Amino acid sequence: MRAARTAYPLKWRIMDTLEGVAAAIWPARFRRATPYLMLLPAVLLVGLLVLGLIQIADASLRTLDTTTFQFSDNYSIANFRRALTEPLFLVVAQRSLIAALIVTTVTLVFAFPYAYLMVRTRSPGLRKFLLIALFLPFFIGQVVRAYGWLIILGNQGMVNEALGLVGVAPMRLIYNYPAVLFGLVQYMLPFAVLMLAPALTAIPEELEAAAGSLGASWVRTFIHVVLPLARPGFIGAGVVVLTLSLTDFAVPAILGGGSQDFIANAIYDQFFRTSDQGLGATLALMLVALGSILVGLVFALFGAGTLAMGRSRA
Amino acid sequence: MQEPFRAVASREAEGGREIAVTVRNVGMDFDGVHAVKNASFDLPKGRFLTILGPSGSGKTTLLRMIAGFQTPSSGEIFINGEAVSAVPPHKRSIGMVFQRLALFPHMTAAENVAFPLKMRRRDARTIPDRVERYLALVRLGGYGGRRIHELSGGQQQRVAIARALVFEPDLLLLDEPLAALDRKLREEMQLEFRRIQRELGVTTINVTHDQREALVVSDDIVVMDQGEIQQKARPIHTYRQPRNAFVANFIGVTNFIAGTVRAVSEMGDVSIFRGDLMLAGKLGDPANPPAEGDKASGAIRAEQIRLAGDAAQLLTLDCVLAGTVTDTIFEGERMVYEVACAAIGDEVIRVFDHDPAAHTQFDIGESVFLGWNARDMLVFR
Repeated sequence: MRAARTAYPLKWRIMDTLEGVAAAIWPARFRRATPYLMLLPAVLLVGLLVLGLIQIADASLRTLDTTTFQFSDNYSIANFRRALTEPLFLVVAQRSLIAALIVTTVTLVFAFPYAYLMVRTRSPGLRKFLLIALFLPFFIGQVVRAYGWLIILGNQGMVNEALGLVGVAPMRLIYNYPAVLFGLVQYMLPFAVLMLAPALTAIPEELEAAAGSLGASWVRTFIHVVLPLARPGFIGAGVVVLTLSLTDFAVPAILGGGSQDFIANAIYDQFFRTSDQGLGATLALMLVALGSILVGLVFALFGAGTLAMGRSRA
Repeated sequence: MQEPFRAVASREAEGGREIAVTVRNVGMDFDGVHAVKNASFDLPKGRFLTILGPSGSGKTTLLRMIAGFQTPSSGEIFINGEAVSAVPPHKRSIGMVFQRLALFPHMTAAENVAFPLKMRRRDARTIPDRVERYLALVRLGGYGGRRIHELSGGQQQRVAIARALVFEPDLLLLDEPLAALDRKLREEMQLEFRRIQRELGVTTINVTHDQREALVVSDDIVVMDQGEIQQKARPIHTYRQPRNAFVANFIGVTNFIAGTVRAVSEMGDVSIFRGDLMLAGKLGDPANPPAEGDKASGAIRAEQIRLAGDAAQLLTLDCVLAGTVTDTIFEGERMVYEVACAAIGDEVIRVFDHDPAAHTQFDIGESVFLGWNARDMLVFR
């Protein structure tokens, strides 16, 4: 009896029971449909998103009658005309797009050495420290972090006090464009490092040693070997940072102090300040389109396969 | 085709005795562990040296120090007479074939071979020609446009060799590049290495744990164990005159019979006692002979023992032992008999039988006689 129990442990019995239950609910002859069943939750979620988009598209085609605060029954493209012609929206779109591009570039430049050191260091202690430092900001929400920067960079903040000690007059470090960019880079850095690290891990260290023995200095090793092989990581990280920055709300709102609105802030204003859901929906749709075009452009230029999808070429 | 190759060959002809690499008292410590201890050897230009040893013997560490990936904790390495400790790998003229080849997966075969030429800023107009010539040298002419993953294991090996040689390095280093290949391909590539090395005359250091590879490809073998060089000799001497018990055991199949030294002669003859049994042999290391009464063991190769069903057939041999066959192992080209000998406490002696007609001669449990000549038994402390 005892021997039998060790040969067939309790865990296995539980698994057997569960398998029996599963077989009763989903008989073996349905097996061919199992992959589709597993796809179902994701399809449902994406489907809901599509439903929402349809709703928004519907709203975007109705104009608000400012005297009655009623939406028109008939469709018109007046909202799109307003979004494309009013200078305010153009300024906001430009500001968001340029910020997204700058933030992506700067973040990738900063994230690479961090990820490289984290992957290649021989000291487990240093690797642990870098990992913890990377994850710590995730535990603090974006809004709290932005307020943190207000405290540090504000007129009576730590930075200005420190500058005062060496005789520099207080500077306005917040409520401007650079402050928003700074906040966004700081927010995006962990995402970029997390996306880059696996791509760098996939590059055998031996390749770098080989490049060295073949006559390449570390700079040329980086340009000709590490960079091309890390491309999937750079593209993945770039796409994530680009879309997250383009659509960000909290950092421009808090560190921009209302003067540095991004598209998301403009949408918020339309929905909750002027209550023009039609125009808000229009702006939302245009943001989706802009993001899709950018991501599509990246995939068209570099191929979706570079996102470590498809077969590895090594 | 011939021009650059001739240049290398004539350089060798002029200075065949010149020393390409000197390793002097080199040591390497990792956190207090001595990976390499006080290693010294000279390698003349144009020779093929193999560093042979089990894993953890320090052979790869020694190679990596010569390549410049690690700096010795003590001692100095000289390449062409110059101390190189302060020279980074990319400034040394060394071609290296890595254990896992380290080919660049994002480049074609030709781009891989062209890489060292571009990194060394060679005249861009001469690069395609030279790449094609070296691809032809490794018998991959016309394969230049292939991506690395489109090539077979053997072809990838050849690309790695071409890439390591195309810039005419002073020294070629091979870090067990054949270890992952199947036996047939490995033996084919061993002969390839030898052919290419002879054709170009490039000084080569190879690291391996494969004794057959070491014997086949090398001009010289350095045997390492536990960070120390055990012996440096030509392959035939390494095999026939191992300096110590480790070398005798690591290369070939060797039987050891432990005993006590009875007498040592000036001529290098030595006899040891195992109980009542007296075994005559030769000193393994005449420079360092054991004294009378010391513990020692006699080493006898499995292929130097004759096997017979009748002691009368072994009368011409110096030493004859009776035993019982405990196992027979058929290895294709030979039969291995394991024989337990009562005179040495039923220790098992392994014997090779290469005679096809005799392969089925003895069965397990049969009584047999073993015999060998005293000159074939080497005695080690």
